[in-house]
Amino acid sequence: MDATVFLQQLVNGLSIGLVYALVAIGFTLIFGVLNVVNFAHGEVFTVGAFGGLLVITMLAPPLWVVLLLVLLIGGFSGFALERLAFRPFRRFADEASLKSKAMREATLLSSLAVSIIVRELLELKFSGEMQTIPQSFLLQSPIALGPVLITDGNLVIFGSSALMLGALQYILFRTRVGMAIRAVSNNVLGAQFVGIDTNRTIIATFVVGSLMGGIAGIMVGLYQGAIFPHMGFEPGIKAFVAMVMGGLSSPGGAVICALIIGVSETFATQFVSDGWKALVSYGFLLLTLWFFPSGIFATRKEKM
Amino acid sequence: MNGLSKLLSLAALAWGFAAPALAQTPITIGYQLPLTGTQSQYGEVFRNSAVMQLEKLNAAGGVGGRKVEILFEDSKSDPKEAVAIARKFVDDKRIIAVLGDFASGPSMAAGEVYGKEGMAQLSQTASHPDFLKVSNWQFRNITTQAQEGPFNARWMHGAGIKTVAVIGLQNDWGLSATGEFAKEFEKLGGKVVATELFNPGTRDFRAILTKVSQRKPEAVYLAMFYEEGALMLQQARQLSLAARIHSASPFYAPKLVELAGPAANGVFISSTFVAESTAPNVKAFVEEYKKRYGSEPNQFAAQAFDAVGIMFEAIKRAGPNATRAQMRDALAATADYPGVTGTTTFDKQSREPAKVLSRMEIQAGKFVVLR
Repeated sequence: MDATVFLQQLVNGLSIGLVYALVAIGFTLIFGVLNVVNFAHGEVFTVGAFGGLLVITMLAPPLWVVLLLVLLIGGFSGFALERLAFRPFRRFADEASLKSKAMREATLLSSLAVSIIVRELLELKFSGEMQTIPQSFLLQSPIALGPVLITDGNLVIFGSSALMLGALQYILFRTRVGMAIRAVSNNVLGAQFVGIDTNRTIIATFVVGSLMGGIAGIMVGLYQGAIFPHMGFEPGIKAFVAMVMGGLSSPGGAVICALIIGVSETFATQFVSDGWKALVSYGFLLLTLWFFPSGIFATRKEKM
Repeated sequence: MNGLSKLLSLAALAWGFAAPALAQTPITIGYQLPLTGTQSQYGEVFRNSAVMQLEKLNAAGGVGGRKVEILFEDSKSDPKEAVAIARKFVDDKRIIAVLGDFASGPSMAAGEVYGKEGMAQLSQTASHPDFLKVSNWQFRNITTQAQEGPFNARWMHGAGIKTVAVIGLQNDWGLSATGEFAKEFEKLGGKVVATELFNPGTRDFRAILTKVSQRKPEAVYLAMFYEEGALMLQQARQLSLAARIHSASPFYAPKLVELAGPAANGVFISSTFVAESTAPNVKAFVEEYKKRYGSEPNQFAAQAFDAVGIMFEAIKRAGPNATRAQMRDALAATADYPGVTGTTTFDKQSREPAKVLSRMEIQAGKFVVLR
């Protein structure tokens, strides 16, 4: 394999990895706070894509306006999701119910239910097929970097993931909301003892995580040229793998693992065949669970 | 919930038509097809076409004074669901024959049940060579890849292409489509420089395309459906793939051009159905479909329209009180059915439908028939 093909495949792999990474950031954030998997995160991604498409077809504004509006849509869907699927299972604030595994695991199913309902409603409204995207909005214009071809979509996705990860670090470590999120994620009861409003903190987490999921949806939709009701499933699964590999509640670790998965999938296609690439990501998952049961980038619980 | 409510509303619809002939029980046909899940877009157009045929038949008085009804069941294109539906249909004494399923995998899985229990099954799309080998009860209204693959191989070889790369779906259909094409192309003396298969649901093809373009094929043969196809064409354009692109009838869909835009131009495909055809029955079908559903029918809609039509002709031949065995024989006797996908005759021995394939090229966003 010559150097050009190697570089091109590396770029291809990194761009797939970034797609998974965008989804994984929101995923890990919510897991960190609630200690439970939010199965509806893939649908937040889909809702972001459909919301963005509606904005595009109705208003046709410049791309940055689309992205801003999708941020709002994503944030709102996170808020609604929390209300529908998570809040009803946190009615009691006593110690026993806060520590109850059953209560937590109930939200596993309620979020799955919301995800199925949202997907079927979208299918009813828009049909199951891929939506037509106005050509001028597709993020697919080729840009030549020497012999390697990238697209404007690569730049947009790369730029915004870097921006989002930076913003996330800032929010988590430099703002009161971020401190509260970290405190709740560390110990819910302890956070309540020092006067943190856990409900508000949880809502904030969902809003932040979902606005990232939503914006990932529209960017990936425009980059791949594919927006349809089932689009959230595959990135959701891969982001889940990245999250588990990265240590469940470490957004940075999840991003690195997502990139590793993307690149290794691409090289699996190059050297073996595309049909085998799923084996690579699930193989990684198995290896991680065997050798690093708490994830590669798991940090020890901080003492606050 | 979704599938059930659709089913109920259709049952209500059929009931509405059946109402005048309340005393008469309707003749019942089962139709298994994906109405939810990732392949629901195909099931939807099948149902569109089936409803058109059904309303036409019942408006003309049905068969022998009895109305006809179709029971739609959602298989999600899942072999397990397909088998469960087949059992249900077989147990339903009213049902005399069955249409569907969509993909070859579920169709063949359900076919095992129909073969054992003795129920004729007519699929509009199952084009795997082994589908008709499941039992004597299977029929189809689609050219197989054993016909279409070699047709395209001869076309490409005739155009002077010596090296080709094949990219296809990793499922029963895709394996037969890529295999039948490659076999004929190599027999003609051409060279297949790469065969790449991908799992259904893949959306990023850049890794495959980079790998394929490294082998510098003169042409690429795409054995897949129009949605993956549209993504593939866009990404091929973005990576400046320098090869002529050919594909088969599943590419014949207006949606392909809508999704892929200018990236679809210059692609060559084979097809049995030609919406631009001047034949009066095709024109009438295209116009009515557009009027009802607001979009041009694709290859799949046409395939289903004819399959339902062939089924109704068989009911007419077998009579209003036909048994399942009589329905099988009536279907087997299908000859010169004047459909929108061409005149169809089922072969006496193999039961394969014989159809004529056209060559098309996408030019400036339009499917143009090449003479």
